[in-house]
Amino acid sequence: MATTLNAIHPTAPPRRRLGRLGRGRAAIVRHAVINLFMLIILLPLAWVLLMSVKSLPDAMRGTFWPRRFDFTHYRYVFEKIDTLPINLFNSIYVTAGTVVLTSTCAVLAGYALVHLKPRGRDFIIAAFLVSLYFPVRVVSLISVYETQHFLGLINSTSGLILPYVTLNLAISVLIMRSMFQLVPHELMEAAKIDGAGPWRTLWLVGVPMVRNGLVVIFIVNFVTAWGEFLLCTTLTNDQTARTMPVVLAGAQGGLGQWSWPNLAAVYVIVVTPGILAFSFAQKLFFKGLTEGVVKG
Amino acid sequence: MEQTIAANRLSTATHRVGARAAHARRTRERVSSWMFLLPALVFFIGYQVYPIFRVLWISFTDYAFLSNRPAHWVWFDNYAAALHDPLMWVSLWRALEFTLMFLPGTIILPLLLAILVDRVTNPRLATLYRVVLLVPAVIPSTLVFVLWKWMYNFQTGPINHLLVDVLGLFTLQDAPQWLGGTPLTLPSIAIMEVWWGLGYHTIFFIAGLAAIPRDLPEAARIDGASEWQVFWHVIRPRLAPVMMILVVLRFGSAMAVIDEYLIFGGFNRASPTYTWTMFMYDQAFKTGMWRQGFGAAIGMIGAIAMMIVVAFLLRIFRPRD
Repeated sequence: MATTLNAIHPTAPPRRRLGRLGRGRAAIVRHAVINLFMLIILLPLAWVLLMSVKSLPDAMRGTFWPRRFDFTHYRYVFEKIDTLPINLFNSIYVTAGTVVLTSTCAVLAGYALVHLKPRGRDFIIAAFLVSLYFPVRVVSLISVYETQHFLGLINSTSGLILPYVTLNLAISVLIMRSMFQLVPHELMEAAKIDGAGPWRTLWLVGVPMVRNGLVVIFIVNFVTAWGEFLLCTTLTNDQTARTMPVVLAGAQGGLGQWSWPNLAAVYVIVVTPGILAFSFAQKLFFKGLTEGVVKG
Repeated sequence: MEQTIAANRLSTATHRVGARAAHARRTRERVSSWMFLLPALVFFIGYQVYPIFRVLWISFTDYAFLSNRPAHWVWFDNYAAALHDPLMWVSLWRALEFTLMFLPGTIILPLLLAILVDRVTNPRLATLYRVVLLVPAVIPSTLVFVLWKWMYNFQTGPINHLLVDVLGLFTLQDAPQWLGGTPLTLPSIAIMEVWWGLGYHTIFFIAGLAAIPRDLPEAARIDGASEWQVFWHVIRPRLAPVMMILVVLRFGSAMAVIDEYLIFGGFNRASPTYTWTMFMYDQAFKTGMWRQGFGAAIGMIGAIAMMIVVAFLLRIFRPRD
């Protein structure tokens, strides 16, 4: 039917003109719908941001836009909540450790799987893939608790890094593998012929070429480690050993040091680094995402 | 003739020497390739492979973490006890209920949004949309939960503020209690999860759409196909692989949700948030009896039930070429 129509009126001019008119209206509707979604995404965040600068009565009243702004909550939380710097430091420390370790493991493994071709690599890749579908994080909890107890790492902030590394290890290795598949073999061979060992080849030739994938891995692991809840509540008991988001999740809003604007101020402090880092790296991130995740 | 034979001989000889050197190099590379794999494998085996098998072993014993006596092999006692416990079935059903509430929204809405954003031709606007879309994806999980715990707050949350003070649909007496184990808790969490994944999944679909050659839908449109026909016959089949990955991965994450339930639900057995993951956690870490053997069996049953559905889904979505 469609093709016969086309055969009779090869260019179909009247349909086209109508289409362009319709297209103009469609574009308006389209942008309206998109912007509605954008609003839904941004409103909760705007609400928290405003809450952190509301005066106390405004915070209790619940109106979206405050009648009186009060910017002192940020100073207050640093001066009056004595565990806050400790929890923030824990977050930074655990996250940095996790990101560095996971990325290193992923780059080394991804490179080896593609360019060094170890025996049994198909089996390793299959194991990583299966682990993505199995609810490992939940089911392994009992044994991970036991391991951490055995290593004397219960209630230890540093100890959290070990299980955190594995949370995204499989996907990080798989992303790195598909990134290294984009690096031509000849390039690696050329470096080898020039006398570079595998380490030098990886560092000088490989790593610069998988930069975009590294950005994706940094961000993915940062987000996971920064906000991890289950392992942190299970493996630590003291508030001083925990990361900031976990403490925040346990805090009940009310009066005093955990009043709503104070909570919101802490929230803004904790949520900003990720959003800032992502905004700066977004170009590289999108490149890496399309190269590594979708095509891989 | 003679020359070629000599040349051939020479070349095989150098070949052999070269082959031996290449072989030595290959062996060296094999060894060093394992050196490169070692860090990842240590973590992967230590904190993923070993724990799963360890939990499998524990599930066949009466292992209790705090007790001094050694664990006894009890065969399928834990499994039988769990399967006879109505709570096991109820908790599995609750997890499935949540998954069914969450899955359609988290696939269809992003797909719709992706088709709309994909048509934006202004490059600046397109970039802006993409950045905003990914903002929730870079908010760490716990912070998403905390944010929505406040959004849903009965007294000071903006949602109830809107419903009670602005729209006047409810009074403070009958305003909806979104969280805390009420019937509304699971849908509330599902909405939160859709919000969280909306941008990320949209980006996923946009990347899938970008891989479709532009002239395909154009050609169909010139042929007079309606937008719906273009979507159904041209775009949908080409997005199927992306959709399959999303459905299977999101099914897996939704069935195994636990953090949200710990934060929003608590350990009330009657709460709709008391799913198999909470049942396992409760038995293993909370009840004070520390029945890890029983808890491990619950975890294994949940995981196996999930894997059966995943295998089924993979079969449905397998490429039919």
